[in-house]
Amino acid sequence: MLGWLPENISEYAQGVDKLFALIYWITVVAFVLVIGTLIVFLIKYRHRAGHRAEYIEGSTKLEIIWTAVTTVIVFGLAMLSFPEWNNLKSPAENPDYVVQVRGEQFNWYMIYPGPDNELGTEDDLELENELYVPEDKLVQILLTSKDVIHSFFIPNLRQKQDALPNQTIDTLKFQAREPGRYEIPCAELCGFGHSGMLGYLIVQTQEEYDAWVAEQWPE
Amino acid sequence: MTESRPLSNAKLGVLILLGAETMLFVGLIGAFLVFRMGNVTWPPLSIDNIQLPRLVTGINTVLLIISGYIMFLALRAVQQDRIKQLRNFLVFTGTLGLLFLVVQGSEWVQLIGKGLTLQSGVYGGIFYVLIGCHAVHVLGAVIWLAIVIGMAIAGRFSSVNFTGVETCTIYWIYVVALWPILYVLVYLA
Amino acid sequence: MQENENISHEHDDDEQHEHAHDDNDTMEHTHEHDNDEQHDHADHHEESFIRKYIFSLDHKMIGKQFLIYGLIMLFVGGGLALLFRWQLAYPETPELEGGKPAKAAKPLPIIGPSQKYIDDGEVVTGADKMWERIYDSDKEEFLEVNMPSGLIEPHFYNMLFTMHATIMVFFVVVPILVGAFGNFLIPLMIGTRDMAFPVLNMLSFWLAVLAAVIMAAGFFVPGGHASAGWTGYAPLSADPQWTGVGWGLNLWAISLLIQGFSSLVGSINYITTIINMRAPGMTFLRLPLVIWSLFIVAILLLLAFPVLSSALALLIFDRLAGTTFFTSTAEGGGSSLLWQHLFWFFGHPEVYILILPGMGIASELIAVNSRKPIFGYRSMVYAMIAIAFLGWVVWGHHMFQSGMRPGMGAFFMTTTMLIAVPSAIKTFNWLGTMFRGSIRFTTPMLHAIAFVSMFVIGGLSGIYMANTPVDIYIHDTYYIVAHIHYVVFGGSLFAIFGGIIFWFPKMYGRYMNDTLSKIHFWLTFIAFNCTFFPMHILGVGGHMRRISNPMQYEYLQTFEGMNIFITMSAFTLGFVQLILVFNFVWSIYRGKVAEKNPWNVTTLEWEAPTPVPHGNFAQIPTVYRGPYEYSVPGEESDFIPQAQPEHAPASAGD
Ligand code: HEM
Ligand SMILES: [Cu+2]
Ligand SMILES: [Cu+2]
Repeated sequence: MLGWLPENISEYAQGVDKLFALIYWITVVAFVLVIGTLIVFLIKYRHRAGHRAEYIEGSTKLEIIWTAVTTVIVFGLAMLSFPEWNNLKSPAENPDYVVQVRGEQFNWYMIYPGPDNELGTEDDLELENELYVPEDKLVQILLTSKDVIHSFFIPNLRQKQDALPNQTIDTLKFQAREPGRYEIPCAELCGFGHSGMLGYLIVQTQEEYDAWVAEQWPE
Repeated sequence: MTESRPLSNAKLGVLILLGAETMLFVGLIGAFLVFRMGNVTWPPLSIDNIQLPRLVTGINTVLLIISGYIMFLALRAVQQDRIKQLRNFLVFTGTLGLLFLVVQGSEWVQLIGKGLTLQSGVYGGIFYVLIGCHAVHVLGAVIWLAIVIGMAIAGRFSSVNFTGVETCTIYWIYVVALWPILYVLVYLA
Repeated sequence: MQENENISHEHDDDEQHEHAHDDNDTMEHTHEHDNDEQHDHADHHEESFIRKYIFSLDHKMIGKQFLIYGLIMLFVGGGLALLFRWQLAYPETPELEGGKPAKAAKPLPIIGPSQKYIDDGEVVTGADKMWERIYDSDKEEFLEVNMPSGLIEPHFYNMLFTMHATIMVFFVVVPILVGAFGNFLIPLMIGTRDMAFPVLNMLSFWLAVLAAVIMAAGFFVPGGHASAGWTGYAPLSADPQWTGVGWGLNLWAISLLIQGFSSLVGSINYITTIINMRAPGMTFLRLPLVIWSLFIVAILLLLAFPVLSSALALLIFDRLAGTTFFTSTAEGGGSSLLWQHLFWFFGHPEVYILILPGMGIASELIAVNSRKPIFGYRSMVYAMIAIAFLGWVVWGHHMFQSGMRPGMGAFFMTTTMLIAVPSAIKTFNWLGTMFRGSIRFTTPMLHAIAFVSMFVIGGLSGIYMANTPVDIYIHDTYYIVAHIHYVVFGGSLFAIFGGIIFWFPKMYGRYMNDTLSKIHFWLTFIAFNCTFFPMHILGVGGHMRRISNPMQYEYLQTFEGMNIFITMSAFTLGFVQLILVFNFVWSIYRGKVAEKNPWNVTTLEWEAPTPVPHGNFAQIPTVYRGPYEYSVPGEESDFIPQAQPEHAPASAGD
């Protein structure tokens, strides 16, 4: 199961895969125990001639035990997730780069602030469906939408965030470790073109990225 | 034949219905609160030249509460077999209910004249939907009451048989009790 | 005096008056069928066909009506799913950098045109002839708009999954579990003659029919049917300009509003009946678990549906009256998240509405077939009550990625973990019930076992999603789809199938054919798992839900084979259900005649004669004990019916 996860290139979200693996093993063990018990019971206590069921109305002790065990496990998992969650869904502190992303039926528009580092100015650059970032740098995405709700999903970064019309969400950030080209599908139904609404994350080495910047904003 | 039943089926049914009605209003009031909290100024700047008629509605609120009390008196009357009083009280209640609706209606006409319509942002929208939803309930209660009045005139009620009055009273008082909450939320707060 | 003219009314018994008054604002007075002791008149006069089969006031007939209704809708909803499954298996493969070679989509079987026709316009099959006619005509034909040449348009695809889920949730599972089993079982199992308000009961059914008709009509209006998902997220749903759907979505909303009325009327009826009309001795803690579950579900329906109604009303205003409740604009506009909050505040209780009666049915089947009392009856009841309460504070777990404040996410993760606990308790108690039992592998029991094991998978997959960091990744992927289907199909539907086979003898006086039932069970069980288990893998691979063409994404192209496999399994799953239908219909007329209590059950419905007459019981039974007195030590028989009077106590100390 875990092998099906796409490559994880996120500095931030390594913990997600660890949590995933942990839950995976907990659930596998729980599944095997429960279904194993079930099968054993089905075989052992199948109806046989001359055999009678035992009249058992319950056992408070057992019930307390399994309630307690389940509670401890699920709350343990919750405790483990809190830091990870806060880590993933908090605004970036001192991001190296900020890019605004706008969903609009049925494209992602990436708006780069340009040399002045300020969005909403003359030198902004708007690209359709292409998000260029350098590797190993903290990138903050300011996510918004023009029309309906879209969802900005980068499987390789384990990140997903809905984009809301007329609202900017600043909690999306990442740091990509591997140069390459990754897909950014839209994950929230947004109309008949939802399927195929697709952008690309292009992670470059710092040199490549600087070259790209020089090309986009010639002096 | 069955276990002891503190409430008759009809009464229980109406009480259960009120649970659903409450959740309907919870949904709408929830929406109202979301808008209210979501806007820094309320009413939003674009419509702040319009004042909701607090005073008239306040008086209207009092009317409605009085109608609730009279409905209660009607129930007491039928329980004590004062059938004639029952009729009078019921008619009085219904009149007050109608009056409430008429006042509301004329307020709406005035507000629309001043430019507050369903399309005036969420402020206008939720105002008409929430208050309108309550008005529809009052109307429903008035119609129900009219049927009960008809039955009372036909002499269908007595001190041993007044379920029809009782269920209508429960519903009426519910609709009355809901109003002050809306009044405070929408008009005053 | 007027009072005197109506003297006859004064002498009516209390019961009749209550009904007359209660119903007077909605419908005319039909003759009263209410429960009273002098019921024998019903045996003497034959009712007309219309009274008996169509506008019936009898809870059993209404229950059967709901059952047939639900089964028909099950096939409609399933058919829609097969259409879009085909699309997912054989979509067009576009040319992608580094992807698989481009490939055309494959037209639907049977209705799609032949390859010859596509290549050089030669008419070979009947379908070709049809397409020829469609393309020649000037009219905008349904097929031409929605699936030209047997290929499903993306917009139609969205309509299909929207309607599939809407129908399955609102027109199949709830009508069958609550409408059919609720109606049929409640009066019989609590020992009364009918529902508290038979006329309202009939109204509930016919409103549901009206809602279904309106829902079906939506396909044929200009612009097509609702296509914003069963969750109908605004603002997509709030303004026709985003989807191009006009009246389709309005009809969707109106239909659901009517369905809401139907549920409201039904739940008032169920709650009143269970509170007020239990047989003597039937205390709450002697109620069978299935009745408990239906009671709790009726309360949930009563309280949850009006919230959806409020949201739907606002949506209709947005669409038709120009309000902007769900559209955030710069100034004085609404909120794009409001819909989600309202919808899921209703929606989470709704998903438990879908499963609780299934849990109840499974509990009955397991106890009966293990010949043992339910393990921890009280904790089973408390667990259901806990679920019903907690269900109101977990709605945010559907909105972790919605842009809700992250702090809220942490809160909802905690409550969601909390609600997993009672679910686990129930599972362990079912195992406990089988422990040291004497398990009979009847077909209903097989279904109950499938229910438990599939519910375990669904519950465990819920844990992943409850974990917010993991949910970031799997939200809105096929992982969710897998979860839904393990709980609702693997859970509720197996319980429904088991319940139908189990209570069929009481409903129709005959058994269903056991061989066919067993074949149906095994094929369903296998095909179900082949269809839905791989969806977990798709989800882990990052495969989004609600996309019509996964081949447009390079990283999803690896899943082509798996999608084809799923589709094949889904078609198998669909066709296997025909066995059930055949068996059902055939058995009504030809099945082996059943005796009064064929499975040796303790509960009251088996005290009634088979087939159950109007009025149910010759005499209202008195209840002397709890519902699960199986294999009581020192007893001759291995079950003691609830209505069996006390007798000399069994010899102590065994
Ligand atoms: C152990 C108990 C359960 C837990 C912890 C749980 C958790 C969740 C979570 C967190 C989601 C949202 C996932 C997402 O969209 O990212 C979800 C979705 C869903 N759950 Fe469960 N669940 C549980 C049991 C059930 C049961 C018993 C049912 C119903 C019969 C159910 C039906 C659904 C449905 C229908 C959805 C998807 C709704 C949609 O987006 O269309 N779940 N569940
Ligand atoms: Cu989209
Ligand atoms: Cu939920």
